[in-house]
Amino acid sequence: MPAQTDTLLRYRPWRGTLHGPLWSALAMARVSLRLMFRRRLYWGLFALTLLVFFFFFYGQYLVVWITTQVADDTVPVAGMKVPIKDFTRFLDRLALNGTTHTFGNFIWFEGYVVVIVLALAGSVLVGNDFAHGSLPFYLSKPIGRWHYVLGKCLAIGVFVNLATTVPAVLLWIEAGLLFDWRTYYLDNLDLLAGVLGYGLVLTVTLSLMVVATAVWVRRAVPMVMVWMGAFVLLRMLGGWLADILGDERWRLIDLWNDLYLVGMWCLGADPATLRPQPQPAYWEAGLVVGGVCAGCLLYLRRRVQAVEIVN
Amino acid sequence: MRNAELKADPPSAAFALPGPGSPGSGSPSPRSALRTPRSAVEPLLLFEHVSKWYGTVLALNQVTLELTGGITGLVGANGAGKSTLLRMATGQLRPTLGKVTVRGVDAWDWHARKLVGYCPDVDAFYEDMSGRKFVRVMARLCGFDRREADRRTEAALARVGMTDRADRRLQGYSKGMRQRIKLAQALLHDPELLILDEPLSGIDPIGRQELLELFQALAAQGKCLLISSHELEALEKLTNHVAIMARGRVAAVGTLQQIRDLLDDHPVSVRVDVDRPRDVARLLLTMPDVIAVEVDAPASACPGSPGLVVKARNPKRFFTAFGRLAVEEGLDVRRLEPLDESAHAILGYLLGGSGRT
Repeated sequence: MPAQTDTLLRYRPWRGTLHGPLWSALAMARVSLRLMFRRRLYWGLFALTLLVFFFFFYGQYLVVWITTQVADDTVPVAGMKVPIKDFTRFLDRLALNGTTHTFGNFIWFEGYVVVIVLALAGSVLVGNDFAHGSLPFYLSKPIGRWHYVLGKCLAIGVFVNLATTVPAVLLWIEAGLLFDWRTYYLDNLDLLAGVLGYGLVLTVTLSLMVVATAVWVRRAVPMVMVWMGAFVLLRMLGGWLADILGDERWRLIDLWNDLYLVGMWCLGADPATLRPQPQPAYWEAGLVVGGVCAGCLLYLRRRVQAVEIVN
Repeated sequence: MRNAELKADPPSAAFALPGPGSPGSGSPSPRSALRTPRSAVEPLLLFEHVSKWYGTVLALNQVTLELTGGITGLVGANGAGKSTLLRMATGQLRPTLGKVTVRGVDAWDWHARKLVGYCPDVDAFYEDMSGRKFVRVMARLCGFDRREADRRTEAALARVGMTDRADRRLQGYSKGMRQRIKLAQALLHDPELLILDEPLSGIDPIGRQELLELFQALAAQGKCLLISSHELEALEKLTNHVAIMARGRVAAVGTLQQIRDLLDDHPVSVRVDVDRPRDVARLLLTMPDVIAVEVDAPASACPGSPGLVVKARNPKRFFTAFGRLAVEEGLDVRRLEPLDESAHAILGYLLGGSGRT
């Protein structure tokens, strides 16, 4: 066997330049995404995020069309003339008009699906490497431990942005086309920056949280429990405590709300317009989000230093 | 105390593919150049007083070891610390005390792994992937671009004899096929140092022979192979260099012959087939190094043929003296065979058991 194949491995010397470990992190992210999207469940959940996007996309179009084209028209319903505007009143809450709250609301709703996907994907992307012992294959290649973490975070970041930032930017572009595009785009560049900022905050926080919790609990079911505890239980608890004790700072234990507040801070929203009221200050939410990221990094640092594959 | 240095078998292949850390692989960035593994001046793999604790368990105890080339077998009982040692060499584990370097670079540093190929004992893959895909992913992780990764993947698969079976999903692979895939991914970047943890486990006899030939071919190309195995017989066919581990220490390192010679407490047993065995036995007993002689011990190879089994201290001196005696007395020696220089026997002496690992 070696006599035949010797020539294959050395038919010409390789003179190229090896890509660095950051490139390997990209390769790792690609593989992780492939692993994730090999399962139909994730396609189904991703379709849900698209559904939310299309709802906002066509909703925004509908609202603008009604406002500009049939603003004063009425439709007879049971013998009564009902203004067409009233039919879309339920959409007012979503603020489908290309403003700060359009993007804030959009990302908020996308967040439900994103959180579910990440809860399920954590074990596939990271936990299995630890639980089944695939890590030696990664770490025997010329990459560092932080490159491994970066690769996994990139994969999660791609999904988070595909579900939130990218469609939000598309909504921004659509809004510009629905109104006077020159004025809208120029006047609302800060909105675009805000959307990107919100996306960045989500990407960094969620990817670090997924990797940290997946390294910690590894298996899918505990991962879902931890994740749901953080985003559902704490949210309910935060709301109750804030209402009962009358202190809005209790909402700070609701991490998704904190991310929303930081996002709205990026979008430059007036705190008084946020729901539910009262809300803690933006900087307080920023501190909590920063603290969570720092905590995850510290935990990963400890775990990454101790990635010691002992069977 | 530094263990005996293992000298490399002379590299016979002058056409070795430039590895990622070698000059032909392009110019590294200034930062990486600082830690890029240095030239052959530094030992390829060096353990310096390395100790490792898992909690209160001492897995490695003051291990000092230096590899420069050739094939080295790593043997020892379960729990002796073999896998821990291999994982440290590949930067998977960090020593609690001491230092592990690959060509002068800390093995924990990812730069060192440019020179190291690792075939772990675990075979936990992404089961949904095909073997080819898995090896290709590993090639991309090595830093090769797509085209080169494809080329290397095919070459490595061919090298381990998996080209025609690589499109099947990993979950359907036999143990032997998994071993080959693991080996293929370790060969991808043409590393100078190959660390193989139980590479022969689960491989059928024909496949085993193929892999042994592959290991020998790699060593002939100037690679350094550190192979942990329980398959002592296979390991003996492959190499005479062994490092024997016991209770977290490298109990002995060197050729089997060197190690045997150092075992002064255990007299060497030598089978001698001669005419007039009783007379020869009398002569042998006058030699200072001979402890005992068993007469009429039947040879296992040819039962019925009378012979002697001599137990002697200091094998080197004994063989010299015996040669002189044979010439002086005109002995017709039909056979002279050390009975306990096998790895099994030496392990038995060192580990205080049967030698089974």
